[in-house]
Formats: sequence, C-alpha cells, structure tokens
Amino acid sequence: MDLNLTLGGPQGGGIDTSSNMITRAFAAAGYNVFGVREYHSNIKGRHSYNHLRVKEERPRSLKYPVDILIALDPDTIFEHIEDVGEGTKIVYDKQFETSDLASARMIMRDTAKRIKETLQDEKLPLNIKGALQLMQKKGGSPIAVPFNEVVSSAISDGVPTRYFNTLGSAITLAIAGLPSEFGEESIRQVFSAKESVVAENIKVVKAAYEYCNNNKLAGKPIPKLPKKKRFLITGNDGSAIGKLMGGLRFQTYYPITPASDESSILEEHGAISFIENENRSLKDSGIVIVQTEDEISAVTMAQGAAITGARSSTATSGPGFSLMAEGISFAGMDEVPILITLYQRGGPSTGLPTRNGQSDLLFALNTGHGEFPRIVISSGDVEECIYDAMKGLNYAQRYQMPVLHLIDKNLANTSDLVPEIDSKRVKVSQVLATKDSESFRRYNLDTENGISNPGYLGKNIFWMTGDEHDELGHVTEDPDVRDRMMRKRFQKLKTVEDEVPMNDRAVLYGPSDAEITFVTWGSQKGVILDVMEDLKAKKISANLLYIKMFEPFPSEFVSKILKKAKLVIDVESNMLAQAARVIRTNTGINIEKSILKYNGRHITEDELLESAMNIYNNRKEEKLEEVLENGA
Amino acid sequence: MAHNFKSDVTVDWCPGCGDFGILTSITQALSELNLDPHNVVSVSGIGCSGKTPHYLNIGGIHTLHGRSIPFATGVKLSNPNLKVIVPGGDGDMLGIGAGHFVAEGRRNSGLTIIIFDNEVYGLTKGQAAPTMQLGEKTKGLSRANIFGKVNPIALALASGYSFVARGFSFDMKQLKEIIKTAILHEGSSVIDVLQPCPTYNNINTMDYYRKKVYKLEDDKSWDPVVTGESMDKAIEQFQKAYNKGLEWEERIPTGIFYDNRAIPSFTKRLNEFVPQYFKNPPSDQIVSGVDGFTPVDVVKTFADKTI
Ligand SMILES: Cc1ncc(C[n+]2csc(CCOP(=O)(O)OP(=O)(O)O)c2C)c(N)n1
Ligand code: SF4
Ligand SMILES: [Mg+2]
Repeated sequence: MDLNLTLGGPQGGGIDTSSNMITRAFAAAGYNVFGVREYHSNIKGRHSYNHLRVKEERPRSLKYPVDILIALDPDTIFEHIEDVGEGTKIVYDKQFETSDLASARMIMRDTAKRIKETLQDEKLPLNIKGALQLMQKKGGSPIAVPFNEVVSSAISDGVPTRYFNTLGSAITLAIAGLPSEFGEESIRQVFSAKESVVAENIKVVKAAYEYCNNNKLAGKPIPKLPKKKRFLITGNDGSAIGKLMGGLRFQTYYPITPASDESSILEEHGAISFIENENRSLKDSGIVIVQTEDEISAVTMAQGAAITGARSSTATSGPGFSLMAEGISFAGMDEVPILITLYQRGGPSTGLPTRNGQSDLLFALNTGHGEFPRIVISSGDVEECIYDAMKGLNYAQRYQMPVLHLIDKNLANTSDLVPEIDSKRVKVSQVLATKDSESFRRYNLDTENGISNPGYLGKNIFWMTGDEHDELGHVTEDPDVRDRMMRKRFQKLKTVEDEVPMNDRAVLYGPSDAEITFVTWGSQKGVILDVMEDLKAKKISANLLYIKMFEPFPSEFVSKILKKAKLVIDVESNMLAQAARVIRTNTGINIEKSILKYNGRHITEDELLESAMNIYNNRKEEKLEEVLENGA
Repeated sequence: MAHNFKSDVTVDWCPGCGDFGILTSITQALSELNLDPHNVVSVSGIGCSGKTPHYLNIGGIHTLHGRSIPFATGVKLSNPNLKVIVPGGDGDMLGIGAGHFVAEGRRNSGLTIIIFDNEVYGLTKGQAAPTMQLGEKTKGLSRANIFGKVNPIALALASGYSFVARGFSFDMKQLKEIIKTAILHEGSSVIDVLQPCPTYNNINTMDYYRKKVYKLEDDKSWDPVVTGESMDKAIEQFQKAYNKGLEWEERIPTGIFYDNRAIPSFTKRLNEFVPQYFKNPPSDQIVSGVDGFTPVDVVKTFADKTI
C-alpha cells in the first residue's frame, strides 16, 4: 500500500485532531504513517492542511497526486486543484457545491487570483463546480457527502458541524478500506479524557462507515498488520525528548513558530521518570524552563545557567536567532557550553513564518561578531532530532563552545511513527567541575587539545569577560596572551574533528559508485532516499552525500566523494544553494547542478524525481538549476 | 582567616570617581555578612561600572552591554542558593538593558541590582545616559541633553521590584547597610546609587549631591517594610515610596524606599512545580546514569506519545 491523503479545512477547525485520528487508526492496524502540517500565520479561519502518507514500511516523504483529498471547507477544494490526478477521490460536503471563489474570503488574495486565472483558462465557472470539473479533467472523482445528514443520523442533539472533522476522517478510513474498529479505536485514543465525547464520536464513525457501505464508497478491506508499540512524535518532540534524555536542566525561550512547541513539550514533561535502578536522588529532580522577555535574554540567561553547571539550552527561529548574535559571540569568547536549537523557517525578516526554509545555514555559520569556534549540526529526520540534541548537549560541555542545532520547519512539524528510542545509543557525558583550588585557571593555556579546566560558578571562583582575558578570566589586552587565547580556542575545533566519528558529520547513503550523487542536508534526506529507489527502478544508480555537521566541516570526506562522483546534484530548500557554497569554501569543489525550493513547502517525491531526471537527461550541460513549486 | 573580598586586580577608574565608594561598600557588606566567597557571585554589563566583578574576589561575569540581568537571572535560577550581585551603569540598566530591567521586576528572582547612576555613559566618553535631566549640559556634551530622564526609583517600583533603595557613593556607611539588607532580601532589589563622574559630569558632582541628599531613615515614622498583613497598608506604603521617589529638585532622599517581603520570589514560585528545586537545583544535578547512559525512562516520561 502507498496512500497519500490530504485533509484540509479552516485553521482552528480540528484538522490536526482529524489527522491525528487517521494516523492513530492506521497505526492501530500496524501501518506506518508519515505526516506534515501546513498552516498560515493565523489562528482561526485560514486554510490549513495535513498531508499524510501511509505505507507498510516507513514512509519518508510525500507524493502528489494525492489519493484522497478530504475537504472540510470549500477553500480546500480551490486550494488543492493542483494536487489532484488520475484516481484522486475528492471528498467534500455536498453543501459546498453552492460556494463560489469570490466568497472564499480566507484564501489569500494572490492565491485566489491564481486559481481564478486557472479556471478562466479552462473556461470553467469560478466556483466549486468549476474547480471540481477541473479536478475531474485531471482524473479525479468528486464524492459529495451530505455531512449534515450523515452526522444528524447518528447524533440527535448537539451541533452537527462539531463532528464534521470526525466524519471526514472516518470517511477517509472507510474509502481506504480500513475496518471500522480501527477508526473507533483511534477515537478512544484521541478523546481518551471524555467518555461521552468518545461515545458520540464513535456513533459518527459508525454512521460514516454505513454511509460509505450503502453508497459503494468503501474500499477493498486492507489487511491488518502485526501491531507494534511505537512513538508518535514530531521533530519538535524529538528535540525535546533528546534534550531531556541528554540531561538538559535549563531551557529558555521566547515564543516563536516553529520553535516554541519544543519548550511547551519540555514543560509538559518536566516531571521526568527515571529508570528503576537509578539512585534515589535522581527520582526527584526537575528542569527549569523560563519564558524570557526576548531572545537576547533567552540566549544570555541560558548561559548564566550553563556557567553554574546546568546543561542548558534555548530554542528559537530566524528572527529570534538574529537577536542572539551578540550573545553567541560571548559564548564563543567565554567558552560557555550552550546548545541553541535553531528552527529554520522561510526568511528573510518575518518571511514565511509558518513555512519551511533552509536559508539560515550561512548565518548560523557566521552569527556573531569576531572569530570564535562553534559547532553547527543539522538533523534530517525525527529520530536524528533526538540523538542530535543529546549529542549537542555533550559537545557543548566537552568542547566548551556554543553548539547550534539546525532543524527545519518541515522536520519540526513532521509526525512520524518511531519504533524505538534507544537509551544506549548516545552516552550522557556530563562534565563536572574541576576540584577547586586557589587561583583556579578557568582558561588555562597549557592544554594541547584547547580544552581548559571546566569550572562552574558556585563551585569554583573565577572570572569571565567578553573582553580578551587571561587564564583567570580577567581582562587583558596583552598581544601575546591574545594570540595564545585565540589559538587555544580554535584548537578545540581540531579536537572535535579528532574525536567525533565521521558518521556524525557526514554519511554516504547508497552505493559508493553511482551515476547520480545527491548532496543535501536537513529534511530532504527522506525524499531523496525515496527518489533513489525510484531511480533504481529506472536502472539509474544514485547515492546521497548527506551532511550533518557544517562546523567543523568534514572537508576531506566530502571532497573524496565529490571528486569521484559522476553527476552531482545539490538539493536544498533555499535560493542560494547555501550548503553548496559551504562545500565550495571548504573543498574548492563547485557543484553545478542544483534542485532548489524556496516557496516554503515540502519537496515531494514526484517533483524531485522529475527534476532529477531532467538534470540526468541533460547532464552534458555545464550548469543546471531546477526550482520546485509543488504545494498549496 | 577572613576572606578578602577585594581582588588584587588594579582598579583603573579615574581618580575621584564615585565608583570607588560603591566598590568599597560592596566588599564591606560582603565581609560583614561573612558570606562564603563560593556562594556569592557578581554579574555586570559593560561600562566603567561593568568592571566591578574583576575587582571583587568572588566569581564574576563581566557580560555584554545591557545584558547583566538575564545572565544573572540564569545563574540565580540555576543555582538559587547563590547570592547574585549585579552592578551596572545607568546606561547599561536603563538604556540598552531597560527591557530586562522591567522584566526582572516582574520575576523577582533574587538579584541585588546596583545602578551606578552617573547620568552619563562613562566608558564611551560622556554621552547623556537615560538618567540625565532634560536640558542639562555636562562638559562631555556639545549641546544640552534633549531627552527627558527616566526615574530609576519610579521605574523600579512600577516594574514590581520588591526592594527599592537609593544610596550615595560618598556615604559608604549608609550604602553598605543598604547593600547588606538588599543581599539578604529574598526577592530582587534595586539600589540606585548617586555616583559622581568627575571626568564627564560637572553638574551632578559630589558637592551637588552632598547639599541635597537626606536620609529617609532619619524620619522615625518612615516604614518601608511591607509584610503583607494589610492590603490597604501595603498600597499606602507603595504610594508613599513612589511619591518619595519623585522628589529630586530641592532635596534628594536616600535610604530604603520600599521593602516588600510578601511578594514571593521567582525561585519560590519555581519551587512549586520543580521537584527538590532548592535541594537539588539544576546546577547540582547529576544527569548521567550509573552506566554513563541516560537515566531517563523515555517510555514512562513520554507515555502520552506512545501508541
Ligand atoms: C552592544 C553595545 N553597544 C555599545 C557598546 C559601547 N559601550 C560601552 S560602555 C557604554 C556605555 C556605558 O555607560 P553606562 O552603562 O552608564 O556605564 P558607565 O560607563 O557610565 O559606568 C557603551 C555604549 C557596547 N559595549 N555594546
Ligand atoms: S569616566 Fe566617569 S564613571 Fe568612568 S571611571 Fe572615569 S569618573 Fe568614573
Ligand atoms: Mg553611566
């Protein structure tokens, strides 16, 4: 099975609940579900949708055309005209048939204009009927369901519209061929708190199935797979889980999409449960989470905590990260162990506040004035978020420098079913204070690896200053000490290179010898791995050079692979091909072919495959750039 | 042997600078309180005043211009058992760092904030600080100040600080006592210190202040301590403190304006939901398990995320 479905409706209209329900239903039947969430910077009314992909094995990407489009409002039909193809079933409330485009006021004006032009080009009326006709032309089949009637047949009192999202989900499940018991099970999970709510919603699920059976909509029953225990988590969850496992004890944040969810998750799970055999004192200890007055405060307050010995972190996205620049420079200068999770969204400025972007890589590598060492890592799937957050906390304390962990919005809002979280994959190598002494030298220069004596205020007496300083931490402008301190700080980057395994810095997926070598970072990893399979089916071999650590950069490894690669294609969600620039700076190798996307939406399997084929077929050309455009 | 709270670093303030008196008042207060030097730290911003931590023989962080308060808050909240002194300039606290100053009033973390109020930006050569009067022309300025002034006492009160006082750097006896009370105060305190800068401010000089200052405590009926027993009385005390805070032209009051012991500190508020917060604070927790791996039971902690 490979099922792509999109569920759309007004923001605040329960789309997330519906998609949660669908996910849990398929999960209960043993399937794997990969899902993403698209939404406007708006609280109520504007169009939002979830795109889910269901498979036996774990899906890693999304694909168009979708198999089922469930519209909980007329806007969804207009917005998703392009996502429909041969065989797409479009489920909607019969009542929408009277709606026209002009009255769909919550569609962004430019989007409405574009839809209008599309319909006009096809000489179709500017209303739902017109949109549905266009969808039919593309091979879609509209399924009008009298939402009100079906719900009213099940629920005698209460507002029927309140159950429309349950109805939409249940119809989807019925069409997909999932037995009703799984739909009911998911209702129990989603509304677990309230018995009466569960009962009413289950009635709606039953009515939906009955309606589908009576109208020959129900799909051929799909087999039930062995059920396994799994975690249903997003990238935001992953980072929070990793931080808690990695010993985080202090987190600061100032609210911003898509970063603040992480802090809320930490707050909700601040009462940590410890493994039985751990000693008593661990059993009652907690984590401090502070909502600060701004991101300047967030990055500096987290450092104050780190300086006393707590594992400490903050999370933000572009605008907030810009405000942190001076603070990050301090952390570099004063060797403060701090992890900063940077959730990238579409920039510049406020940009596309709720959409994807990977345009902060060069900024992350250069944030803050002056020259100082930092570690920059990036995650590409939900599981990586967990272990990278743990490693990030380790690196910060071991190498005494700011660690920037990049997660893009797509990944932050991707929900995935993770079979296992491995407590033994990453050690928690806490660095304790050096035994205190008179004239404790926090910044001792007599160190080969550049790492000075760890010390924490409250346990050691020492000084810190953003000014250049001596071994005790007092201000100095002595030219010789300055030189030695600069070299000492940068020596730590060499130590990172010596100590961190290559697998944590860059990975080559696929055969070592291939016709196409993709290069990427972040959330495109999954879709590229899927496209590699598609290419294999076309007898074209491909591999993926996947970069995880950008500073210190794994130059030798990358260089070795790229030098022998036949056709290199860089894939990124930005306009400037930033990772390719970093590669050029570090290795001198130019990547001439790229597939880029900067409209803020996911790269889907179909569009990536098409562009990869275009480049492959024209590989004799010296320079090629494809720009992807999928997504509502 | 008693700890010497004065470090051996050469002090490089201008001769006659009011900062010396503040430094001495701090070291004397620390000595008299007989604090363990490991349990008290100082956190400053940037400016002449920002150098203070290096002159104190306790752990110290000389941070960024305007950011001493959030750094200090991080220290305090991660290790609530530390005493945290925050010396800084008027520009640092009330100009570039004003947002943090106000936010800390709302938090009440337990910082002892000492404003070196010289009405100028000393270290950048005498520009007008936010505390300078409208129309004042000090010798460092090429034209009279065209900004109005912020009143540190009124702003501190309005922000919610639970302890608000004013000292004069040439009255070290009084200042030292204020600092001692402030350090022992559980919530956050603000001490606005009139600090002559002979190099750039030829108006607010030592003599200028000597003629104007008077002590609140000389009036035996002055009672800044709010216990929280009577709401009406508390409101009246706040209003009195605020009104006193507005006095400036003729005479300038010094001493403790407001000492509210009823407002719970931020650390107390955190203690409501962070287990063993005071006994086992973030700074002191062992976070790796006996085998070096995480001691966290992920399945139990994130039970709501499992299906
Ligand atoms: C972000 C930033 N902007 C500007 C400066 C330059 N600067 C250094 S000290 C200072 C003003 C200091 O005035 P104040 O805080 O009143 O301290 P004082 O020197 O008077 O004690 C300024 C603007 C800086 N260090 N950082
Ligand atoms: S410039 Fe003013 S404040 Fe700075 S040290 Fe000199 S006298 Fe003191
Ligand atoms: Mg000043």
